Amino acid sequence: MSIAEKIIKSREKITDGLTLQKKLTMEGGCGVIGFASSTRLPGKHLLSSLMQMKNRGNGKGGGVAILGLSSFQLGVDQQILENDYIIQIAYLNKHCRNELEDQFINSKFIVDKSSRVNSIEDYRSIGLEVKPPEVYRYFCKVKEEQLLEFMDNNNFKFSKEKAADEYVYQNTYELNRKYYSSKGEKNAFVLSHSKNMLVFKMVGYADQVIHYYKLDEFLGNIWVGHHRYPTKGNVWHPGGAHPFIGLHEALVHNGDFSNYHSVTEYLAQRSIYPLFLTDTEVAVYLFDLYSRVYEYPTEYLIEAIAPTTERDFWMLPAEKREVYNQIQQSHIQGSPDGPWFFIVGRSIPLKREIELWGITDTSMLRPQVFALQEGEEQIGLIGSELQAIDAVLNSLATENNRFSAKADIYWNARGGSYTDGGAFVFQIDLNQEKPKLKCTDKFGKEITSPRPVVNSENLFDLLSIKLGMNLSERLLVHSSNKKSLIDLCTSIQNLNLIKQGVIFEYILSLTQILDKMHLLPNSKNGKVRELIENTLYKLFRSFPTKLNSDSVGLLVDKMHEEDLILPINPLQKLFIDIGDFEIEGDKSAALFIVNAYKMGWKNIYTFNWRGHRFGGCGLGPNSDGLRIDVYGNPGDYLASGLDGAEIYVHCSAQDQVGQMMKSGKLIIFGDVGQTFLYGAKGGEIYILGNAAGRPLINAVGKPRVIINGTCLDYLAEGFMAGDPLNGGGFAIINGIRFDNNGKLVELETPYPGGNLLSLASGGAIYIRDPNSKVEENQLNGGMINGLSKLDLILLDHYLATNEELFGIPAYLSNPRGLTNDKLYRKIEPAKIKELVSG
Amino acid sequence: MSQELTKLLINKHVSRINFGLQNLPSLKYGIPDALGDLRWTPELILTTFEQANTGNPPTSGLEYKIGNSGGGFDSINFKSKEDTITHYDKVSDLSISLNNRNKGSPLDISIPVYGGGMSFGSVSLNFMLSRALAAKKLNTFTCTGEGGYPKELLKYQENVITQIATGMFGVSEETLQQTKIIEIKYAQGAKPGLGGHLLADKVSSEVAKIRESTPFTSLYSPFPFHSVYSVEDHKKHVDWVKTINPRALISVKVSTPKDVDMVAIGSYYAGANIIHIDGGYGGTGAAPEIAKKNIAMPIEYAISKVHKYLESEGVRNEIVLIASGGIRTAYDVAKAIALGADGAVIGTTEAVAVGCTHCGNCESGRGCQIGIATSDPELSQFISVEWGAKRIENLYNSWIKQWYDLLYKLELNSIRELRGRTDLLEYRGVRY
Repeated sequence: MSIAEKIIKSREKITDGLTLQKKLTMEGGCGVIGFASSTRLPGKHLLSSLMQMKNRGNGKGGGVAILGLSSFQLGVDQQILENDYIIQIAYLNKHCRNELEDQFINSKFIVDKSSRVNSIEDYRSIGLEVKPPEVYRYFCKVKEEQLLEFMDNNNFKFSKEKAADEYVYQNTYELNRKYYSSKGEKNAFVLSHSKNMLVFKMVGYADQVIHYYKLDEFLGNIWVGHHRYPTKGNVWHPGGAHPFIGLHEALVHNGDFSNYHSVTEYLAQRSIYPLFLTDTEVAVYLFDLYSRVYEYPTEYLIEAIAPTTERDFWMLPAEKREVYNQIQQSHIQGSPDGPWFFIVGRSIPLKREIELWGITDTSMLRPQVFALQEGEEQIGLIGSELQAIDAVLNSLATENNRFSAKADIYWNARGGSYTDGGAFVFQIDLNQEKPKLKCTDKFGKEITSPRPVVNSENLFDLLSIKLGMNLSERLLVHSSNKKSLIDLCTSIQNLNLIKQGVIFEYILSLTQILDKMHLLPNSKNGKVRELIENTLYKLFRSFPTKLNSDSVGLLVDKMHEEDLILPINPLQKLFIDIGDFEIEGDKSAALFIVNAYKMGWKNIYTFNWRGHRFGGCGLGPNSDGLRIDVYGNPGDYLASGLDGAEIYVHCSAQDQVGQMMKSGKLIIFGDVGQTFLYGAKGGEIYILGNAAGRPLINAVGKPRVIINGTCLDYLAEGFMAGDPLNGGGFAIINGIRFDNNGKLVELETPYPGGNLLSLASGGAIYIRDPNSKVEENQLNGGMINGLSKLDLILLDHYLATNEELFGIPAYLSNPRGLTNDKLYRKIEPAKIKELVSG
Repeated sequence: MSQELTKLLINKHVSRINFGLQNLPSLKYGIPDALGDLRWTPELILTTFEQANTGNPPTSGLEYKIGNSGGGFDSINFKSKEDTITHYDKVSDLSISLNNRNKGSPLDISIPVYGGGMSFGSVSLNFMLSRALAAKKLNTFTCTGEGGYPKELLKYQENVITQIATGMFGVSEETLQQTKIIEIKYAQGAKPGLGGHLLADKVSSEVAKIRESTPFTSLYSPFPFHSVYSVEDHKKHVDWVKTINPRALISVKVSTPKDVDMVAIGSYYAGANIIHIDGGYGGTGAAPEIAKKNIAMPIEYAISKVHKYLESEGVRNEIVLIASGGIRTAYDVAKAIALGADGAVIGTTEAVAVGCTHCGNCESGRGCQIGIATSDPELSQFISVEWGAKRIENLYNSWIKQWYDLLYKLELNSIRELRGRTDLLEYRGVRY
């Protein structure tokens, strides 16, 4: 028998008499956030992120996992921290503690230290409705004689460490089985039992977990937080909250499996039966199975969970296909069917490593964003929303100047793909005195971002050249300061620009720098972006909060909400500090903007967005003449329904941008998320970066879109936008990016996904593809054609505007000197007989 | 064809249709062959014609309360005292509230039913307008369906629900802001999981124009909403719609999967005012035969399941539960309410009132020979707005009388008191 078979066999005893049961709760989306940092960070930096994602949970379950702990804080020496299993038990009924400890702790383990975990006294004071469990922590080593007996009984002929892992796993399983029944009495359960890792969870939000167990100043290299949104039942127990544990893994999940039963059957064949009856529990059992029992390397583990399919499979090298095929044949039944997105914290005690994983399902049906910041310290982040990531960074940057409020790079994973595999791992090697963070994709390819260099020698001159204006002159900067952006920004902040009547010059120029940063060396530098944004915020906040006829602008924030009045003259501009407005609902930022517009404001600067949703929605038909500028982190559904106005977004946007958009102009100096322009009907839209999955689905009418990067999948499925040469709609995909030197480079392929323009009856995709990388098999009912003169004339206007906005040359030079008619290919709907009237 | 000739032909058809509607219920030609099916029996169709003719409950002796499906509403009866006298004049309160939250303005409709969404394109403009005019006269609503909001409907704005479905055809901030109720359609009971479709022949230039799509090319609405894959996405979706129109009530229309109770509670938490569950017996001939009745849970089970679940969660009185999908008669409506719904949505029966024979050819070619489920400019003229509206109004007036009678016999003062009174129902067994 193999090691894996022996382990599985040994579990028959502990699962004896169990049967498969139905899933207990339905769970929808959830809010997830995780980060891995080269230095240990306190839990409080997760708070604002979790607060801003409360709308992704409903207070019925929250939890955190922490890895890479501080021995000092735990009151043990480093040896114990690294070698002992830290068993944390949640007691819902404290009377069972003595009995439980006798049977499951003291008789089996040498307990080096045990203590009750501190918590605040009154749970109601932080808004909790259900009293959280009392938590006890035990630092344990398995007793030698117990371990040898266990190994002997099960014929384990492998290392003691591995056997001890299984011993702890089974001990916990038996403990949970005895003290926590999903459908019956609930007395106690194990929160976590790994090494160098802790889990806390309760009925509440994850930020309340941090408050309740006083984790604000608690340190860890890796933090994972989760808000849950279950819907069934009105009585709740903490056992159902995330994270769920395997042995050395803690997993949080956003989604809902459609094949729960099939996964549990697969696990049952391996003597694993869920006790908490949720998707998340079975997901983490899969992880533990592949990682510890089968000892799969990262790549194969991910393949077993999120298989590579369709064209992506055939794009893999032959030898990979052979292995993947084996994996799929063995494990497809256990592979969870989406929608799901996992964040996993994993401890690898033997190697003294800890890891943070993010994995998306093959269909990419849940939101997911990754980010990386490198510098003196490195931090990698994974979250449901970009704004949640930035909230962590913002919190860090205000306390610790080795971090900046913006990451250097942000990206989305392409689920089950040959390109990145849909998963990324942030790994921290604790062997080094100064731990290092490494980020790799499924295939082990390293992701790096450049080192921030803020005081670049010639940055300022370069800015002037790239922006085509003499910034020194325009911005009245003292010549001795002109080489340093920091100096520039500091000097600006000290000037009274309003009085000097030049503030708009400055706002305009700084905005232009922000918008064209990609053209500069060290462009992917979160610190620079943070600096410029902060300077702009200071300028915005220098406007008065009372309006008179001489004012050039009015500043409004949540505190001064009532001071919003009608503009006195049409040149006056409105500045709205979005920060403290509600994220959605009656008192939302979005409705405040609508209100301002209805009052007659035509030029509205909005800044300090923190995930506020529905910006630019509700303005109604024919909002022409209104311009809104957006700075910060706008939330989902930005400009969804826009019909006339112009919105300039000087940052990345999130999911559901421009859904149902009818007319107007939308410019995004960054990326957009999922289901961009779903059901759109018109408008002119320019995106500097990428769109995630499923853009332009079911778009009709005449939307005209440029995406300068690429998108993940299902671009323009069911496009019905008439004939682009006759007033209809189209999308231009440029398939380019900018490297760290501000140099434009072509992506490996302009479109990596499948289902390009599938089942479309109108519209077209103009794709910049000089090397003919896009293949017929990426289409489904479309055809690839060359461009006619008329096509070129049509593109001219849009490419010229694109150049003006982003500095991307309309006629990109290329090594072979191709003209645009050879650079671009036109993808049009083929007349499919199933679709057309007979 | 010359205009004159066309007109002559249309007039001839109209008079033949009228003749049939007026005369067939009297059975002077017997029960016609090839009319209806076991659920929509020939008798039910003829009695619906008759009610639409007269505005009164049928007197022909034909069955007008139940069909012959052998299950569902056809196998339950009201337990009422032996009383063969009808009490059509015993007026009681038939109104229901569509907003039971303590937020937003109250909104009552005078009868416990409103019209279901049938899109411009799937049905003719005149039929839409007939329904809207009838809704206005009866102080209730009709619904745009997923095909845009033809400007002719604006006249009835106060009585028209704007629907957003998964294809988002013809929906804009404008159409969402001009309504009192926004219906977010996730699925249709007749074809859950299949999205929507309008075949090429019916996508006339007019239809394509309002939907901003390509003429004479089939239209598909995806399933599900691409932006909604979870209950938390759903809340976000509802929040979005509320941002566009903060005053509108939100109705969430879903089909009836086995976990429909979960969907209902999720919708409650998302802030919906109405949860509209659509069972598998409804749908026009355009819904695929294999899907109808075979995927969604029968509506009578779903109503009871959702009603009880919302009660157990303590939120039943804050959300309005509306049922649809195979509700054909005044008695079906009352049974749905007794099972736990607040009211019902009616689609097919309104079509039968203006002459639908349930032939099931709604999607083929130019569409319906009666002028209901068609986008053909000539066929559409078979129904005039006033004529159609009058017939639908008549039908409901007859239903009103039947509800008065029933409530009187059950010793209830209002239709609201009937909700959830399963104790008043009995299993009657199969009819034949």
